[in-house]
Amino acid sequence: MKQLTFEGNGSEYFKIWIVNILLISITLGLYYPWAKVRNHRYFYGNSTLEGRNFDYHATGKQLFVGYLIAMALFLVYVLVGEVLPLGAPVLLVVLFLAIPWIVWRSVMFNMRMTSFSNVRFGFSGKLGLAYINFLLLPLLFFVSAYGLPIAAAIIVPMYEGSMPAYAGGLIAVAVIVSMALSVYFFALMQKRNTSYLINGYRYGQGEFSTELRTGAFAKITLKTFGLSLLTFTVVMMLVGTAVALMGFGGGFADLAQIGNVENPKEMITNLIMGGGAAAIALGYIAMIFAVFFLMAYMQTRQRTYVLENTLLDNKVAFVSSLKARSLAWVMGSNFLLIILTLGLATPWAKVRVARLMLENTYVDAGDGFDQYVTQKQEQQSSLGEQIGDAFDVDIGVGI
Amino acid sequence: MIISGHWHASGGAAKTTAALHIDNDVVVVKANEGVVLSCHLRDVNVSDRLGNIERKLTFVDIGIFSTKDNAAIDRVFGSLQKTNRCIHFLETHMAAVLVALVFTITVSFSFFKWGVPWVSETVAHALPHKTNELIAAESLGFLDEYWFGESKIEAQRQEEIRDHFRTQLLPLDEANQGINYRLHFRSWNHNDKKIPNAFALPSGDIILTDQFVILADNQDEMDSVLLHEIGHVVHRHSLEMVVQSTLVTTIVMLVTGDSSGVADVGLGLGALLVSSHYSRNHESEADIYAFEKMLIAGIDPQAFSTIMGRMDEYMDETFHTAEVENDIEANVEIHGDTGADIDAGSTVAADVEIHGENDQEENAAVIEKAGNASDYNDLMNYLSTHPETEARQKKAQQYSDCFKQGLTVCDVQ
Repeated sequence: MKQLTFEGNGSEYFKIWIVNILLISITLGLYYPWAKVRNHRYFYGNSTLEGRNFDYHATGKQLFVGYLIAMALFLVYVLVGEVLPLGAPVLLVVLFLAIPWIVWRSVMFNMRMTSFSNVRFGFSGKLGLAYINFLLLPLLFFVSAYGLPIAAAIIVPMYEGSMPAYAGGLIAVAVIVSMALSVYFFALMQKRNTSYLINGYRYGQGEFSTELRTGAFAKITLKTFGLSLLTFTVVMMLVGTAVALMGFGGGFADLAQIGNVENPKEMITNLIMGGGAAAIALGYIAMIFAVFFLMAYMQTRQRTYVLENTLLDNKVAFVSSLKARSLAWVMGSNFLLIILTLGLATPWAKVRVARLMLENTYVDAGDGFDQYVTQKQEQQSSLGEQIGDAFDVDIGVGI
Repeated sequence: MIISGHWHASGGAAKTTAALHIDNDVVVVKANEGVVLSCHLRDVNVSDRLGNIERKLTFVDIGIFSTKDNAAIDRVFGSLQKTNRCIHFLETHMAAVLVALVFTITVSFSFFKWGVPWVSETVAHALPHKTNELIAAESLGFLDEYWFGESKIEAQRQEEIRDHFRTQLLPLDEANQGINYRLHFRSWNHNDKKIPNAFALPSGDIILTDQFVILADNQDEMDSVLLHEIGHVVHRHSLEMVVQSTLVTTIVMLVTGDSSGVADVGLGLGALLVSSHYSRNHESEADIYAFEKMLIAGIDPQAFSTIMGRMDEYMDETFHTAEVENDIEANVEIHGDTGADIDAGSTVAADVEIHGENDQEENAAVIEKAGNASDYNDLMNYLSTHPETEARQKKAQQYSDCFKQGLTVCDVQ
């Protein structure tokens, strides 16, 4: 087992990042494709395994045309949203229909533009399966999660108080069924999406493969859900106590007024109100960090499960040693850093995430990588990738 | 000169130790004691310097020589990579980075402060008036459905106001006769309390709420507000707002495109501040338009101050201050709404601010008390889409002084 390493550092990347922003702003955004290439090259080039590194091969020129088209589309989207209130939802539906194609093209382009030890990656997933994975399954999930509440909102008012006696029981059963279905479809969607991507990945002539079970994803989802319930209950109780304290403070202040002592009244009110407000603020911050932890928990569990079930050519194996608490710590402290420095700490934040992810990834290379050779493939346009970028379509396995 | 590194055959993962020998303009790659190739310096494709990542020299269809010795590569090939050298110089010199940073901030600031308003004004005025009617087409129907009720002002009184508007105010605006102005009367309530307000839609439709008509004591006061609304229409503020928010949204997207989602929170707030700033400028512009026309029409600009003050007072009495506290969040959210903004070019002719969220059934109203020196108010003033009443009243006072001297043109700073 060999550990991946990250050789870049925050202060070096900061300068690259700030120069990128400078050039983007003075060219009114036209430099963006070149900036993106430099960013990618910095992170890929500094990711190494056994002295071999990754590389990103797209050029700014190659991305530029796709970028211009994507920008034009985005501008149309914003303008339509401004002028015709109904236009934006229609465009959103169009975008939704295009997402599988965008994902498919982006993954293909990005894998093709990535190399490790001078050998290119590739992707051989089919477009039809992309529509099942990124359109049909998400739709099934949304219907199972929101279908029932929406149906209830429509049906219940029609009865206007004359609900039959068994209605309560019926609603309870329906809620449980809907929850079970949404957990199932969520897990199924994640399993199918991840399998589709990984089984399509290629490294030279080598093929990645993975066998995942829906049950494992469902278990992780349920555990995260249980943890969320627990955390939110605790935070709500904290906030409740704070609000009660404030109410008590008000009552106390009234008593002081009877004694006609003006200054103590104000002092006590301010003190207790201030305390209550601080408790609420603390609760709010605690909530943000709880959400970070829950996100980190789900992500690390899935990562561990997916990596240990993934192979390259049935012999190169992967292991993730990432812990939820270290990821949550990096996410939470990055969040504070970025807020406190008004975004200037972003480069350090990104470097920290990259380092954490890589250094918690181990590869058992088997016979080594020497026999891999780049396979010839057609050149592809970067259009899909750039549209995905403009509309913030999230792509790939979060590994 | 000899640079040590590794050799990969084209497309292969296997690598061997290799050395690059440079003699004048000839490059020779040697691996395993044997010569792999030799060629002219200019025929080598060298990857750009970036931090200290491995440098790659590509020999098309033959292979790749990679090395970590960036300094040596720069010495040999530097003169062939001019653009890259400039960027790399910036990227490695903190002083240069700082200069670049200050430069970037200055450029971005100027762009948002002057560039965006200039572009939007130019674009807004270059478009035909039909565009205004297009963006306002659905607005009145929408407002009627979700906000307004039928007016209870007598038809005769409505006709009087319309007559006066047509015969006395519209002729003041010689340059923009193409616009078809229409006055509409509507009632508007929030929590069973009547709200005084006046709006202008870009098409030239001006809406007066019943409570505003009731609060306006005399014709001068009503005229001052009507002229302010005409000012919004003449200056095409709604259209400018559309162009501005399109620009700002696209630019924020461009710049944040490669940052993490977390940083977007801060940038969203920035975009919000920027658009509030533009909105305040629009209010001041409409005020000045109204004052200038009032001087010509022989109306004391003081009337604007009076009606603003009265509406202010009314809102204070009607809506308890406590309600303000509860609406802090609602206010921030509503300001942040970048959707089709009907309110963009309309105004409340007072510092009494009422912001409706278009796409929700609940019409949150936020009432802000002027001169209340709490932190909350300071923040809200900063986020506010309207200038402070006091500042506006001061301007009215300056114009009023001109009026008293019998001037029809007033030079106010």
